[in-house]
Amino acid sequence: MSGSILPLAAVLTSAVAVVLIVASYRRPNIREGWSVLAALTQFGIVLSMLPGVLDGTVYEWSLQQSLGVEFLDGIDFVLRADLLGMLFALLASFLWIFTSFYATGYMRGLDEHDQTRFFAAFAASLSSAVGIAFAGNLVTIFVFYELLSLVTYPLVAHDGDREARIAGRKYIAYTFFGGGVILLAGTVMVYWLTSQTGTATTAFESGGIGALAEGAATDPTAAQITFYLLITGFAVKAAVMPLHSWLADAMVAPTPVSGLLHAVAVVKSGAFGIARVILEVYGPETIRDLPLSVPGIGEVGLNVPLAILAAFTLTAASIIALRKDHLKRRLAYSTTAQLSYIVLGLSMLHPYAILGALFHIPAHAFAKLTLFFCAGSVHVETHTDYISDMAGIGKRMPLTMSAFTIGAAGMAGMPLIAGFVSKFYMLLGAGYVGGEYWLFAAALLLSGVLNIAYFWPVVYTAFFESEDRHDAKPLLEFPAGGIRQFVGDELATDGGKRDEETELNSDGDSGAGAGADSDADSEADYEYAVDRYPSDADVPGGPGGSSAEDDVDSSVKTGTETAGTGHDHGHAGAHDDHHEHHGGPPADGWTRHSPLTESTWLMLGPIAVIATGAVVLGIIPGHAAFLDLATEIVTSVFDADSLEQLRGPLSAALEVSS
Amino acid sequence: MSSVDLLLPLLVAVPMLLSTVPIVLGLRFDRTGWSVAALTTTALVAATTTLASVVYTDGVVTHRLGGWSPAYGIELVLDEFSALIAVLVAVTAAGVLAYTRVGGPRGNTFYSGYLLLTGGLLGISVTGDVFNLFVFLEIVGLATYAMIASGDGPESAVAALKYLILGTVGASMYLIGVGLIFMATGTLNMGVLAEVLPAAVERDPTLVRAGFAFVFVGFSMKVAQWPLHTWQPDAYQHAPDGITPVIAALVSTAYAYAFGRLLYSVFGPEFLTSTPYLTELVVTVGCVSVVAGSALAVIQTDVKRMFAFSSVSQFGLIVAAYGLVTESAFIGATIHLVGHAVIKAGLFAAAGVIAASYDARTVDEYAGLADEHPLVAGMMALLLVSLIGIPPSAGFVGKWYIALGAVEAQLWPVAVVILFSTLLTLAYSARLLEKMYFTPATPLEAPHVSESVATDGGENEDDAETAAGADAANDGDAGTRGGTETAALDATATNRDRNTVSYGMLALVVATALLAISLGFAGGFLAGLLDPSFITEVFN
Repeated sequence: MSGSILPLAAVLTSAVAVVLIVASYRRPNIREGWSVLAALTQFGIVLSMLPGVLDGTVYEWSLQQSLGVEFLDGIDFVLRADLLGMLFALLASFLWIFTSFYATGYMRGLDEHDQTRFFAAFAASLSSAVGIAFAGNLVTIFVFYELLSLVTYPLVAHDGDREARIAGRKYIAYTFFGGGVILLAGTVMVYWLTSQTGTATTAFESGGIGALAEGAATDPTAAQITFYLLITGFAVKAAVMPLHSWLADAMVAPTPVSGLLHAVAVVKSGAFGIARVILEVYGPETIRDLPLSVPGIGEVGLNVPLAILAAFTLTAASIIALRKDHLKRRLAYSTTAQLSYIVLGLSMLHPYAILGALFHIPAHAFAKLTLFFCAGSVHVETHTDYISDMAGIGKRMPLTMSAFTIGAAGMAGMPLIAGFVSKFYMLLGAGYVGGEYWLFAAALLLSGVLNIAYFWPVVYTAFFESEDRHDAKPLLEFPAGGIRQFVGDELATDGGKRDEETELNSDGDSGAGAGADSDADSEADYEYAVDRYPSDADVPGGPGGSSAEDDVDSSVKTGTETAGTGHDHGHAGAHDDHHEHHGGPPADGWTRHSPLTESTWLMLGPIAVIATGAVVLGIIPGHAAFLDLATEIVTSVFDADSLEQLRGPLSAALEVSS
Repeated sequence: MSSVDLLLPLLVAVPMLLSTVPIVLGLRFDRTGWSVAALTTTALVAATTTLASVVYTDGVVTHRLGGWSPAYGIELVLDEFSALIAVLVAVTAAGVLAYTRVGGPRGNTFYSGYLLLTGGLLGISVTGDVFNLFVFLEIVGLATYAMIASGDGPESAVAALKYLILGTVGASMYLIGVGLIFMATGTLNMGVLAEVLPAAVERDPTLVRAGFAFVFVGFSMKVAQWPLHTWQPDAYQHAPDGITPVIAALVSTAYAYAFGRLLYSVFGPEFLTSTPYLTELVVTVGCVSVVAGSALAVIQTDVKRMFAFSSVSQFGLIVAAYGLVTESAFIGATIHLVGHAVIKAGLFAAAGVIAASYDARTVDEYAGLADEHPLVAGMMALLLVSLIGIPPSAGFVGKWYIALGAVEAQLWPVAVVILFSTLLTLAYSARLLEKMYFTPATPLEAPHVSESVATDGGENEDDAETAAGADAANDGDAGTRGGTETAALDATATNRDRNTVSYGMLALVVATALLAISLGFAGGFLAGLLDPSFITEVFN
């Protein structure tokens, strides 16, 4: 352990960038320059600590030691770069570099309003995310966890329309419930539990806080409640069901936000927090020693309810994703499912499962960021948000959709892409434990199949269908359980009435759309209700489609005003032409573009890099730092010399440590 | 420590004596009040900080007025607990003057009242005598009634009258309580009372308990605990903008301090925990106030009124913390007293600035404020964030200790209320934040033309267009809000001429916001002021 200012510097870099961004609001190029510069600096600082951390050094900065200020009585404000923290910080700061380029392209491409606020809040989010990564005790992580909720709120509510405001309300209600109420309660409880057996502390220790283990021995019930409080507090951000619904609504945010924050930084901070709690607050051993006694079943490990919840979430979210026509919402449910992979892996407690879960943090990040970037790029270029409008879009955006395919394959856990490696280790872990853990393995495998089921249609429709000839999408367009329609005598048994059959189909189309509408809304507050519950059953041209259109319209109008900084007025004019066709192909079909001309390099570059990263992590994970970090974390938690020692059942793995 | 104790009577006497000066000078000069008040409060800041530094290095400072023995005479005491409040009073009183220089109520009589109020508040913080405390409660009360009544319009007079009646009832309750305790013990000095009360409880528990009941009800009224809070929203809402920060930050705080002083220095933890149902009652009153105050705050339309109900809820937190009778909870209550005072002073000052420059007083009128007044809106956002208790901020530190106290006392329902108070505070704070930052300044009263238009979701577009139109109008005349139904640009313009925002007003808002944030790092420091010296004395 060595005192060092580096962890603080990494956090402050983007905090300083916030000030600079706000100060240079009149010059967009300089402003975005600060973002890029801060991202590069932050990544550089984090990277500079990587070799040391891999060698076992812990860089620590403490408020008390450096300034003599005691944050709270008996609690220090500590930033320390340890193995687990590095994993998250490295990931977030690396991806921020490309996201800041992408965000520039995206926000300018759409002529969004309030870009200064956007970039400032974005930098602040990164500052908080790195703060979460480097937090050295529960109170410090709580501070940054709350700050992250706070600074991401402007990003979610960015559009400023009714839908965005409501999504924002939901977002802060959920996140502050998780943070300010539940997580704080858990932190206070840990402080109290440890104070009963010695000095009160909340500082993380690899393998679990010793004083907490003693406290847990004297008061197991309180320790169990505390465990679930902490887990619940973090699970809100990790979108574990039933606390997941903010995530899908938060998709109203601009796509860079959905990408970096709601697929990487924010949601992963939840998963990361769970990792801290399981590995460094309680430790696998203490968790094992605190079995719940469930009436009728007997003793169940403290981790099992969490694992069941995660397994349920990843299955249920995948099934929900099947029926989402809005691409970003489908991705959001996919995120919900993938985050539960991480939670499931961690809660299985076996070293290999934990290794898989930890590696899934970067693996999912790379793949999902690619997917979001692609969705955003499609939105900017063609204003298409709904999958059912994307038939044949592959020829308009070949590179984007190819990258999308790679990302989707990674989500499904195809070999050679990042997602495979992590899932492989998780399955190994489940196999080593055996017993009923096979169920979790089955859930993982099933979810892989479901992943293909909801991503393949996107790829298929983009590349193998054309705008004028494409099949119906039964899962999207038909009501659940099929069309309830009187078929009567019109249908001949000889199959002779093909025309009418297709008509029937299209009837079904509008029927589904109109049905969903009239169900939800009375005549008077028609629009509001739709806004509030944007129905995914909306068909193109229906309310959903046109409200998307309005968003763009208003953003252009206000955008041109606020962009009174001399930036891009001509472009806005050109933009209006774009608006002739929304959501779907233009009247004369998609124009064919080469990969180089399909969009601006500001967006294509990041997409290409991140997609490549996902492949690199899948092919040579051992050379990409993340797997090394994850391995080191697992071996240090279980106090083993190498991963090989940890093979075998969980009890044997825990023996290694003791 | 030689003669530093002589400063104690001066803390009280100087502002009260000098409060006559503005009136006297007013016979000859028009605008002397502010200067006199500024000089006095600056001197008081210097005096209180000097005294506080002595207290925190050398220990308690006491002064016997006229040299009488404490058993008969009045004793002034400044210990670790009261020094904090005395400094808070002096600094806030001096700081708010920066606001009133341009923005506040003017006139010499106002500043006379202001000095009287300051003297009374300092008196509450330094007195060591329960009857003397009543005198200062009345002085503060009278000064406050006058201050509130100095607002424009009949509502101010009504609010002041309401406060006068209820406040006097509260003070009388307290006086009855003091009388009963005097019957039981025969002394009025706090230090002596603390020694003889246990014996008195043995002798006649009913008398002491009845005395406590009256004291508790009296202070519940003064501190504005639900359901005895009804004077407070009116008083805060209708008081002149310049004086609300002082009243909101200091008056209730001083009362709450006095209540804590009586609970812990006079009755003592022993009495609190041994009397059946006493702590339960105090905690319940506090918790109910937390919930009721927040719920009522959420439904308010007027911003100042909303903050007033927020005070009900925040003081509920403090009263509940008093009732927990643990060391952490007491530290938390003290820190929250200070933190809340700073936050509320800033919030009311910000509301005043906004009312003066933007003519917005209701939540709906705050729409689009962030574009017009980025600085004030930003500072208000910081203050609201502190109030919610998002770290690092003053609000968080207080909440941490109070929550810790609740857990230590193992009163789980109370812990739940205290933790959920975050969400309750969030409910009304977020409402304001959302209005300021994410709601465009649209004419609210204007009928939506688009309502007649198709049901195909076309309304959004129209909305956006009107919004954009309003924005464009605003661009023409920055600082004019497109939202007033009068929409009379010239009227607003004259309004602006009349109510200019000075740098002093802005400085106060900025300073409180920064202080609220930096206090978030002072959790250990503030706790160190009380612990161990004061805490061990009280709890052992």
